[in-house]
Amino acid sequence: MMDTVEILSRLTDACGVSGSERQAAKAAAGLLKEYGEVKVCPVTGTVFCKAGSFDEARPTILLDAHIDEIGMIVTYITDEGFLKAAACGGIDGRALLAQRVTVYGRERLTGIVVSTPPHLEKDNTAAVSVDDIYIDVGMPKERAEKLIRPGDRALIETGLNRLCGGRVTSKALDNRAGAAVVLKTLELIKNRKTAFNVCAMLSAQEETGERGAKTGAYTVNADMAVVIDVSFAKTYGEQEENCGVLGGGPMIGIAPSLSSAMSRRMIDIAKEKGIPYQLEVMSGTTGTNADAIGVSRSGVMTVTVSVPEKHMHTPAEIVDIADIENSAALIAEFLESAGDINA
Amino acid sequence: MRNFWKAQVISMLDELKTLCGINGISGDEVTVADYICSQLDGIAEYKKDNLGSIIAFKKGRRTSGKRVMVSAHMDEVGMIVTYINADGTLKISPVGGIDPRAVFGRRVEIGKNRICGVIGGKAVHNLTAEERKKSAPFEAMTVDVGTDSREETSKLVSPGDSVCFSSQFTEFGDGLLASKAIDDRAGCAVMLKLIRDELEYDTYFTFVVQEEIGLRGSACAAYAVNPDAALVLEATTAADVPSASEEKRVCALKKGPVVSFMDRHTIYDKELYDLAFKTAEELDIPCQTKSMVAGGNDAGAIHVSHGGVRTAAISLPCRYLHTPYCVIAYEDLENSYLLAKKFIDRIHER
Repeated sequence: MMDTVEILSRLTDACGVSGSERQAAKAAAGLLKEYGEVKVCPVTGTVFCKAGSFDEARPTILLDAHIDEIGMIVTYITDEGFLKAAACGGIDGRALLAQRVTVYGRERLTGIVVSTPPHLEKDNTAAVSVDDIYIDVGMPKERAEKLIRPGDRALIETGLNRLCGGRVTSKALDNRAGAAVVLKTLELIKNRKTAFNVCAMLSAQEETGERGAKTGAYTVNADMAVVIDVSFAKTYGEQEENCGVLGGGPMIGIAPSLSSAMSRRMIDIAKEKGIPYQLEVMSGTTGTNADAIGVSRSGVMTVTVSVPEKHMHTPAEIVDIADIENSAALIAEFLESAGDINA
Repeated sequence: MRNFWKAQVISMLDELKTLCGINGISGDEVTVADYICSQLDGIAEYKKDNLGSIIAFKKGRRTSGKRVMVSAHMDEVGMIVTYINADGTLKISPVGGIDPRAVFGRRVEIGKNRICGVIGGKAVHNLTAEERKKSAPFEAMTVDVGTDSREETSKLVSPGDSVCFSSQFTEFGDGLLASKAIDDRAGCAVMLKLIRDELEYDTYFTFVVQEEIGLRGSACAAYAVNPDAALVLEATTAADVPSASEEKRVCALKKGPVVSFMDRHTIYDKELYDLAFKTAEELDIPCQTKSMVAGGNDAGAIHVSHGGVRTAAISLPCRYLHTPYCVIAYEDLENSYLLAKKFIDRIHER
């Protein structure tokens, strides 16, 4: 098994803008196949992996992490050869101007997001959104049209880099960090007895509305689900009561839309096994795939386990490797504990 | 022998790539200066002045009897660490004119050891309705190096450390280049090539410090050289992008070097201005002027040195100036070099 940073590096390197997750799915599938049969849904692009043997008598549990990432989709090419784009997901407009992007056209092209000199703008303090920007690909329209078509994806590519201690920064840690948790979990339960049939799912199109999770949960038809995503770690200027702490361990979700029995079990296990954890209390739905999975078919008991992350939806996301490893440890222990959650 | 090979092998593109990869914000140009000195060894006489600027003298085939000074600045825009917060993050201030909208979400390198950090702030999801309407000002940003406390950070970073954009030198599109610090390492690259060439006339070349915080290094270098005429090699704003209306585009890529008549710091010498265009015509290379009175460069300090110095500027049209990805066309760089080389002779011969 590769170390966690190497897994993350492979996963974050791949492009997986919502609706165009093929490369990221391929990278993940390559790592998943060690743990069971891997299938990629030809319609949605969601990746499934049945880990170990399945037994009708046991409940089936779904481990979900979304594989897509925020990015842009080309909508138009101007007469001067600049690209217009729309957002795929909630891209942070504060981190757009003068960014280097890769345009996934007929070939990979580099572009720079146009940054108008501030003295030439009426209001240079207004918020910027993807709708406002142009991408400079450095060629006239005629040539751009041969290489790029509306519908192609564009992505700010910042590779994985280590920060101090066990922290890393990259694009797409939301939610390749979650995908890494799934992989680490499968590694931990490999050759060990679990109380469940375990199906891992790396779902498409979370950032555009949890669509891969909706169809994927239908396909898997699970009894229970653990949804692994990232959540907010406190950053300078934020309120500690609204955020988790980077390095503070997995954030166990508690919400009216989640299974309180599963939340409770997660907390008990964390305490028993000495795994650091934090609570993430939400007052309704969760803003994650848990919302779609929980109401799949006739209902799925669901809990969220989130990896704390700073600077979400920017090219400079930060996670702590220990949080990924502790999340995997927690979920693996959960899978090995008794399958009757209400006992 | 070593320098003979240098003269043969180094292309201006490689030179620019090397120069842009070096970190050197205003006031902290020493690494850039060290590299340039290493290239000058054996091919020009030079000394460093008290501020850190390099004053080089290259002997030509002959002397014109005039002191001509060619100048480019070594510093780049960036940021400086002003404070270490209790949570281990850093507060920063811009060094030089930086649009804060091009800063948020960036990877940076801090200090001599190039410690990796990222600039961020509150998650976009957690902004108030009021904050969402505005771009992030510098005050709302911090640099995160991955630590949790002031104590941990203090082992790696000190207030006063330089913060440089982390940026990959990229060739893209039809002959375009993107990188940080093209302003004004491009000028430095052109000057190094001029110095490696054989020159017709004895000429002074100054690689100066602190342009971005107020044309300070050039003022002292010009005083020391005391030139009869000066030529500044720079990069200037090209706003040839769809978001700027035609009359505000200032200049454009691939239309050749930019020769200014006036900017916010200088009204350029009319005779030299005309001579530059005449020289370009003679060489049959494109040449343009700025269609707006905007920006400024070391000419502002040089032309008022001593009792006044006839000064011209040849600038490279550059999109997204002062950001981590300045964009130029390679052909403009080559044409700037060709124009500068001939123009220097013409200035001597005036």
